[in-house]
Amino acid sequence: MTENNSEVKKGKFNGIVHGNERIGEKFYRLGFDVNGEGGSLLSGFKPGQFVQLQVSRAGIPPDKVIPSALSDVSQRDIILRRPFSFCNIEVRENSTLCEILYCVLGPSTLRMTTLSGGDTVSVIGPLGNGFWLPDGRKKVVLVAGGIGAAPLEFAGKYLTKNHSDIEVIVFAGAKTVNELPFEGKLDDISQNLGYSLAVFARYGIESKIATDDGSAGFKGTVLECFQQWYKQTDWETGEIVIYGCGPEAMLAKLSEIAGKEAIDCQVSMERRMACGIGVCQSCAVECKTPDSAKHENKLCCEDGPVFDSREVVFKI
Amino acid sequence: MANENEIDLSVNFCGINLSNPVFTASGTCGYSDELSDFMDINALGGFITKSITVKPRMGNPTPRIVETDSGMLNAIGLANIGLDAFIDQKLGALNDLCPIVFVNVAGESIEEYKQVCQELSYRREIAGFEVNISCPNVSRGGISFGTEPKVVEEIISEVKKVSGDKILMVKLSPSVTNICEIARAALEGGADALSLINTFTSMVIDIHSRRPVLANRTGGLSGPAIKPIAVYLVNKVYTEVTKETDVPILATGGVRNASDVVEFLLAGATAVGVGTWNFVEPDVTMKIIEGLKKYCAREGVNKIKELIGSLEAD
Repeated sequence: MTENNSEVKKGKFNGIVHGNERIGEKFYRLGFDVNGEGGSLLSGFKPGQFVQLQVSRAGIPPDKVIPSALSDVSQRDIILRRPFSFCNIEVRENSTLCEILYCVLGPSTLRMTTLSGGDTVSVIGPLGNGFWLPDGRKKVVLVAGGIGAAPLEFAGKYLTKNHSDIEVIVFAGAKTVNELPFEGKLDDISQNLGYSLAVFARYGIESKIATDDGSAGFKGTVLECFQQWYKQTDWETGEIVIYGCGPEAMLAKLSEIAGKEAIDCQVSMERRMACGIGVCQSCAVECKTPDSAKHENKLCCEDGPVFDSREVVFKI
Repeated sequence: MANENEIDLSVNFCGINLSNPVFTASGTCGYSDELSDFMDINALGGFITKSITVKPRMGNPTPRIVETDSGMLNAIGLANIGLDAFIDQKLGALNDLCPIVFVNVAGESIEEYKQVCQELSYRREIAGFEVNISCPNVSRGGISFGTEPKVVEEIISEVKKVSGDKILMVKLSPSVTNICEIARAALEGGADALSLINTFTSMVIDIHSRRPVLANRTGGLSGPAIKPIAVYLVNKVYTEVTKETDVPILATGGVRNASDVVEFLLAGATAVGVGTWNFVEPDVTMKIIEGLKKYCAREGVNKIKELIGSLEAD
């Protein structure tokens, strides 16, 4: 993994949808194939990078399946693309399979639920800089809040496929079991079972889940779950790097914990963005500079979305 | 039907012959090379940089944008690298570009506008300035300079004095009672061209938090939602102010395809800028140029300049 992707070419490509599977109450997994030049560019996609997906051409679902909280916003016209990271990439002989894990939250994700096999989607990518492996780090801790699990699923796969000597563990948390974006009967899982999430277990990655209300796994926040584990683990601080993705308040707290323990930590930030390619200047992330009196704005799309947590001035 | 490849798309803008009337609007195409993976900047008729101020600006806090029906609000707040960094790092890349290059100039005082224009006035990389007296997203300067005819005339005449032989284009706000008065004041001050329209001051409220979505409270509305108003205002300024002069209008406001460009040309624009749609489809300007050839071929138009101001009225 490299820290800077700015030299890599980006482009606009079409993909052909082959699946859009519902997971639990409000999550979906959209898969599409990209051929040709797009396929080869996206085959180099790094965990934490993203694409800008065109959703304006997807239809609106019938009224009766629209959740009542979204019925008014479902009428909204969509013009801008929406940024998504991939939760999985599979490079095949003539195409690249790309998967997006998404949560139905507004008019765009609602429209995305109507995509089905054979539909065409347009993406711009690969965009931004993904997670990287600093020198000497052999243990990677993935910390996911809610839908923040999406890029970390791909990070788990990428690390274990590309590095035989890297160990990975994942902590995934949410308020309640319904807000965990994973398949299976999660509420039956004991917190002591170490390989509870299939999407990670298939790569030999240990997983722990946490819910604020205790409806699945550890009762408490994902950060409390991580801290409890960290007290007992025999992993050396100097070998560890944390990859975090989730709500900004969670990332801020994670950054604070990592700072206190002197653990390397990278966070994937989220901002409203129009273009995703560095021109609209919407997605500013306030960052510290070597001059402690001065802050600067970096762009989530071009300089991020993954930042060293020590650099970010979190908005909470 | 005429042959697409024989269509003459050229237009004359302040005495300069442009290969076609398509510009990218300020703030939507960076400093020049940001969109190079998607489009060939040299295929454009004109290019306008994002706003430059004397000092670098961080811009407003986030959220800085919100999407609306057929449009978006932005409140970036003129975030830019500042004049010195622009000269050191960006100006070189503008050298020898085919399109006519304008630097969009902003400031919090007349002195700041003058300083930017003066320092750039002898740089051969650029053809002129687009003086931004219409940004709705800054507390000082911007739109507050663009709503009073007397202030507009003063600022433009002061800037004119230090701009050497550069083309002075003035970007007008639509958020005024009578845009023609402002246009006349700009011409009195010595403007060589007019650019209209900038965004409309607007607001979106989050009904859950009961707060404005944008950290700046308000932002500028752009996108297809504003296009019919922009067409009306361009036609009004053309008919009432510039028609009998040789002052060209660069029209902007919600353009996303060749048909939109044709509408603005018919309304009286000499050139047409694409803004918000560069964010959605970064190759849109290339498609528009092809689309203009197709339109002309279909309609039997040999020279696109014949369309300018050719609206059939009454």
